[in-house]
Amino acid sequence: MSKGDTLGEFEHLTLLAVFRLGDDAYGMRVRREIAERTKRDVTIGAVYTTLDRLAAKGLLKSTLSDPTPERGGRAKRSFRVTGLGIASLNRARQELGSMLEGIAFPLSGGAR
Amino acid sequence: MKPPLLAQSLLMAVAGPNEAEYIAGDLEEEFAMIREARGSAAARRWYAWQVARSVCALLQLRVRTGELTQVMLIASLGVGAPLLLLDRLWQFVYSQIPLKDGLHRAPEFLAFNAFCVCACAAILGAWAGSKWPGSKRSGSKWSASKGLGSKSRAVALAFAAMIAVLAALWAGSANTPGAYVVCLSLAVPASALLTFAWRKSR
Repeated sequence: MSKGDTLGEFEHLTLLAVFRLGDDAYGMRVRREIAERTKRDVTIGAVYTTLDRLAAKGLLKSTLSDPTPERGGRAKRSFRVTGLGIASLNRARQELGSMLEGIAFPLSGGAR
Repeated sequence: MKPPLLAQSLLMAVAGPNEAEYIAGDLEEEFAMIREARGSAAARRWYAWQVARSVCALLQLRVRTGELTQVMLIASLGVGAPLLLLDRLWQFVYSQIPLKDGLHRAPEFLAFNAFCVCACAAILGAWAGSKWPGSKRSGSKWSASKGLGSKSRAVALAFAAMIAVLAALWAGSANTPGAYVVCLSLAVPASALLTFAWRKSR
C-alpha cells in the first residue's frame, strides 16, 4: 500500500460519516454528523476539501441533485462510499484493532 | 431572513462557481435550522463565522480543481505579460536615447501602458462574461462548467489581474511611481469587472 492510500484522521472520520449517513450524505449532514459525534467544531470548507480528496482517491463517488427551494434554489452534491472506500475502512479498522489489542483503556498518565 | 450578504459574497468569490452552488446551499439549509433554534442574530453570526473559517480550505479546493491556476494563468498571459512587454519595449527605447537610460518613464509612456493594460483587462472581462473553458479534473465528478457568466469567476479574474499587474510592475522597471502602481492595480480589475457586467447585461 503506497503512502497516498493511507487515510488521515479527518479523512477517516469523514469517510465513516458518509458511510453512516448512507443515501443522505452531503456536505451539511456530514459536517453535523462529525460535529455531533466528535464534539469538534468543523467547518464546511474543511469537510468539502476532504470529501474532494477522498473522491479523488476513488473512495467516494458524488452526484449532483436538482436545486430545491429549501436550499435557496441551489443544487446538492451527495456522496456515497465506493467499494474501494469500504475496503479502506475495513483495513483501517483492522489495523487499529491490531494496534489496540492488549492495551487496557483508559490509559493512565494522560493530561487532565 | 437571508444570510449575511457580505459573507455570501465572500463565499461566492472564494469558492469556484460549481462548488459555491452546493456549498452555499448547504450553508443556507443549516442557516435556516439554526435560525429556528437560536434566532436570526445567532444564525447570521454562525454563517459569517463558517465562511470566514472556510476561506483557506475553499481556496485550497479551488486550487485542487485547477480553476485558480487557470485564472492566474489567464490573468498573467492576458494582463501581466503585455505590461511586462511594454515595459521592456520602453526600456529598449530609452536605452537608445543618450542620457535617458535608467530614468523615470515620461507620463505619456505610463499612460499608454495603463491604457493598453486596461484594454487587455477589459477584453478578458468581456470574454469571461460570455465564454470560459470548463475546468476538468480526474478522480472526481464535477458538474459541467456553466460557460463562465458566474460572478465568482469574474471576481477571481479581476483579483488575479490585479496580482498579475503588481507582479509585472515588480519584475519590470524599478523606477515606477507609486501613484501609477495604485492607479493600475485599481483600474485593471475595475476594467475587467465593468466589461464583464456589460457583457452579462447584453
